[in-house]
Amino acid sequence: MRNKYIESFEKAQLENRNIPDFRAGDTVRVAVRIKEGNKERVQNYEGLCIAIRGQGTGRTFMVRKMGANSVGVERIFPLYSDSIESIEVLRKGRIRRAKLFYLRELKGKAARIKELRRK
Amino acid sequence: MEFIVEKIGMSRTVDVPSVPVTLLKVVETKVCEVKEDGKALVAYNSSKKLNKSIEGQQTKFGVSKEFNKFMTIEVAEGTEAGDLNPAALAEAAVVKTSLNTKGRGFQGGMKRHGFGGGPGSHGHRFGRRIGSIGNAEWPGRVQKGKKMPGQYGNTKTTVKNDVVSFDAENGILVLKGSIPGHNGARGLVRIVK
Repeated sequence: MRNKYIESFEKAQLENRNIPDFRAGDTVRVAVRIKEGNKERVQNYEGLCIAIRGQGTGRTFMVRKMGANSVGVERIFPLYSDSIESIEVLRKGRIRRAKLFYLRELKGKAARIKELRRK
Repeated sequence: MEFIVEKIGMSRTVDVPSVPVTLLKVVETKVCEVKEDGKALVAYNSSKKLNKSIEGQQTKFGVSKEFNKFMTIEVAEGTEAGDLNPAALAEAAVVKTSLNTKGRGFQGGMKRHGFGGGPGSHGHRFGRRIGSIGNAEWPGRVQKGKKMPGQYGNTKTTVKNDVVSFDAENGILVLKGSIPGHNGARGLVRIVK
């Protein structure tokens, strides 16, 4: 259990944040604000969320995608950060564990995740 | 101006760039007697310890039974006996915090002073030993202040931090960065600026 004062300090910062409900196995598109000199632009990063960890303001999620030449790219984003413009859930995955690190060892067709069928 | 605080723990902000913060709770303090040199005798609550000398002090200054620990701290000008008001922390920009560091017990030279140590393998017996501690027949003794193994930690350390915010309602002071000591440690904050 966390201290109530730390919790209320973090809660005050996390108010009015519109974060969609997603978990590991979901395909997400993250819009990241990038500052270059004086210019600011938004870059999209799309991939499979393979882990969510941490709590409070320190909560982060890990997004894995296959980059050029089939090189796996993983990025860790803070879930609550002013640098994240938006998070869009594109596909819900059917998974049986909270951390999908086993995908790193799999290639091609084996590294797919089935879509979650709603009953 | 000084205030007695208790370390709560650490967190972070979600701004860009994110700031690591330490939360401190200002301990409820009663001013007993204001002295001439800007200092005052104050009472605060610490454990349940009570004996006749503490009780005698409490009757003398008219403070209730919970305030069983007495201490002399610096106070603002014009402070009167009664509750110590921490409102001045709201205007503070920089504070110095004094706390005891985490006690690490009896430690060797490598951990305590950052000695290099020796190779762990290749037939060495040097390992984590401290090595030579002196010269020869002259001076024939070990230099004073030679760094050696011993008690490490649990010493008073003062650090300077920026103030991020102060919640007057709950008495929560938020500082940028870290401060010494374990969560729940008591210490003093002094307003620098």
